[in-house]
Amino acid sequence: MHFNWKIGGEAGFGIMTSGLVFSKIATRSGYHIFDYTEYPSLIRGGHNTYEVHVSDKLVVSPQWNIDLLVCLNKETYELHKYRLTKESMVMYDPDVFEISEIHDLIPMPFKTIQKEEKIQPNMLNTVAVAASVAVLGGDLDIYKAIIHQQFDRKGKEIVDFNIKLADLGHTHATKHHNVTSILTKQLEVTQQVVITGNESFSLASVNADCRYYAAYPMSPASSILSTLAVMQRTSKMVVRHPEDEISVVNSALGASFAGVRSAVGTSGGGFALMVEALSYSGVAEIPLVVFLAMRSGPATGMPTWTEQGDLLFAVNGGHGEFPKIVLTPGDPIEMFELTQKAFDLADIYQTPVIIASDKFLSESHTSVATSTLKKMATEHKIDRGKIVTTTKQKEYLRYKTEEDGISEMLIPGQRGIFYQANSYEHLEDSHTTEDGDERIKQVTKRAAKQQTYFKNHFKPPQVFGNPEAEIVLVSYGSNKGSILDAINLLDISVAYIHFTHVFPLDEEQILKVFKPFEGKRLILVENNSQGQFGQLLRMHTGINLEEKLLKFDGRPFWPEEIASYIGNKEDAGDKNDDVRIINEEVSPEEHHKQKKALMDKLVREMA
Amino acid sequence: MDNLGFDGYAPTWCPGCGDWGIRVGIKGALEQLKLDPSQVFISFDIGCSGNMNDFLNAYAMHGLHGRSIPSAIGMKVANHTMDTIVIGGDGGIYGEGGNHFLHACRGNHDMTVIVHDNMVYGLTTGQVAPTAKKGYKSKSTPNGIIEVPVNALALAISQGATFVAQGFAGDARGLTEILKGAIMHKGFSLVNILQPCVTFNKVNTYQYYLQKVYKLDEKHDATDMHAAMERSMDILEEKYPTGILYQTERTTYHEQIDQLAGPLVNRAPNTSIDAFLPHLV
Repeated sequence: MHFNWKIGGEAGFGIMTSGLVFSKIATRSGYHIFDYTEYPSLIRGGHNTYEVHVSDKLVVSPQWNIDLLVCLNKETYELHKYRLTKESMVMYDPDVFEISEIHDLIPMPFKTIQKEEKIQPNMLNTVAVAASVAVLGGDLDIYKAIIHQQFDRKGKEIVDFNIKLADLGHTHATKHHNVTSILTKQLEVTQQVVITGNESFSLASVNADCRYYAAYPMSPASSILSTLAVMQRTSKMVVRHPEDEISVVNSALGASFAGVRSAVGTSGGGFALMVEALSYSGVAEIPLVVFLAMRSGPATGMPTWTEQGDLLFAVNGGHGEFPKIVLTPGDPIEMFELTQKAFDLADIYQTPVIIASDKFLSESHTSVATSTLKKMATEHKIDRGKIVTTTKQKEYLRYKTEEDGISEMLIPGQRGIFYQANSYEHLEDSHTTEDGDERIKQVTKRAAKQQTYFKNHFKPPQVFGNPEAEIVLVSYGSNKGSILDAINLLDISVAYIHFTHVFPLDEEQILKVFKPFEGKRLILVENNSQGQFGQLLRMHTGINLEEKLLKFDGRPFWPEEIASYIGNKEDAGDKNDDVRIINEEVSPEEHHKQKKALMDKLVREMA
Repeated sequence: MDNLGFDGYAPTWCPGCGDWGIRVGIKGALEQLKLDPSQVFISFDIGCSGNMNDFLNAYAMHGLHGRSIPSAIGMKVANHTMDTIVIGGDGGIYGEGGNHFLHACRGNHDMTVIVHDNMVYGLTTGQVAPTAKKGYKSKSTPNGIIEVPVNALALAISQGATFVAQGFAGDARGLTEILKGAIMHKGFSLVNILQPCVTFNKVNTYQYYLQKVYKLDEKHDATDMHAAMERSMDILEEKYPTGILYQTERTTYHEQIDQLAGPLVNRAPNTSIDAFLPHLV
């Protein structure tokens, strides 16, 4: 079973809240979810949407067709009807606008209810969610329990009023529409959390014993700052919001120098302000974890939309030559794992580690069994590498030459010793130097970390799908879910090579993974316009992926888009080298029409 | 290691540079306070002043130009048992790092910021600094600087610093006394130190300062913010007060963070996520 519920309305109508509530109703009823939101960079006005893909199986991506569209205004219908079918349910208010096309209509008198109950428009979402639960055959008590959770601290009156609105919506929908069994509560319900990439990073950073987090608000990384700030009473982490990103990162380096695990979070613009300090982290060998949530750039770009446009910037961020590690988790579970690992790697290699997310991963929720997270959290053993609280060295050398490139780092405080974290080139004992031989010694030492990393911690890409497949998709990060679901949609066998350790790239280990696919149709999939990972891969391994599927309209890939791209090219027997750019040179209307035709065809084929 | 003294390498500053006197003043203050290099955090800015990193021993960061205050804030948050000092120049602290400076005043972070104020950029060979007098001619301002000088003392007082003082590099003994007070003070301390740059500044010389500097007398009430502001305005007439202009008590930054009852770096790990999961279900 797959079902896609979507709600839309004006910003300020409570779309985000009701969407998350719907996700939780689904998971508490025993289903899996993946949700996705779209909203403009505004607080009021503008159009917000929230869609929840529900399934009785694991679900890792959004679904193209909308099965129930809840329209809190006319615009919602107009903007999203191209993703509706004849079978799609549409909840709308016939007193506000009419629908002439054929759908499974659910009339709901929102306007009358608003007037009669004397409520603000931002309370109608309660009616809409309850009505959705009704027609989908869900358990209204599950929703009522959530209402209690939301409003108990605001008093009985508010709770009762919301429950009344829920009952109203439920009763009306039941009366005017047949009841399906889409959301019927499963017999066995495993407890699941509904978690975003950002929340996963936040939890994992607590679990990794991060004690200092600083950030300047910037979408789509901001929610980490607020999440960790709320958690700090319990977590005991110090969470700060300094005057700018430069202060953010330099204060984190200060805290890290003084011995505590430290992290910062930002998006492209803020990251741009931080890169000088990355370079300092590199030369002075101060551990640092940077969370970079990419959004559509350049400059202010489209602040609330997604893109993988900063990958090469992350890889190259910082002047001079120094080791750096960039990780790209593909879902909240990988985010948890790689965040734990990032803090270890930063300590072990005493260098900056960047976790590159994007709006799609940072803000989309996925359902994950609570027990899975707990298990990952309890099984993790923190590894601080060569960071020590006391040293046995007679003459302490902070930057002592070592074959593996890693010197012992003493946490300041041991009496009788001192040293500096020097941004100038330095001697082994940390004093400044401009001597050529000493320079070579230190550059070589720092560079040696890369080989040590390849040997001990680099993870080659993982192959999903059929290893015998003739078609192989290559990608990284948040594209994972849509690619895996695209493979499931197709009846031809397709494999996926998924990168999470995107920099530095170990040629030897990567070539081994690609070897079995020689001569096959390899397709690079990226959410940017320049195929940045393809460039990186070619530069470090010589692998040249000529066929590219790129998308850069601020939206993530839908699995159907990927599947239809592969399917169509196969049908046409067209295997020429090609770069297909989704949305290029077509008007939005034309694009929607084309896409609908493609999707219809696909859906027919699959049926 | 038995070299627990503060003396590092022999300084490489120009003969006659004010930095020599400032270093003597800082070292004297630290020694008289019975501190040793392993009990002190110093965050050195970039510049001739910051080059003291190799001449004055401590657990130190020698980071990026203008960013010494943020780094010091991080150090102090992580381990507030360490006395924390920032050493920088007028360019790093008031120019490139001006934003950090004013916000650190607001936060009353418990640290001492020592600014070498010679009105020029020495290490980059003599361009104008933000403290230079309007009209000062330099390599980067051949027609004279258009902007009026930053009034660091007034800025600090008005933005929430709780200890604001000025010293003169030609008076190392006086400096030591001011610096001891600043280091012992609980909260954000600014010590602006007037110094000649003997190589690049031919206007603000020792002679110049000896004429223009005056010591605050006993009649000055350092607890009176208005009086302090008034004295800080003397620089508009090229009269430079030395001594403690302003001192008040206010809870420091780290004292207002519950989780910093003990030093952050020493607490036991607290890595359970269980308490946060119910909110996500």
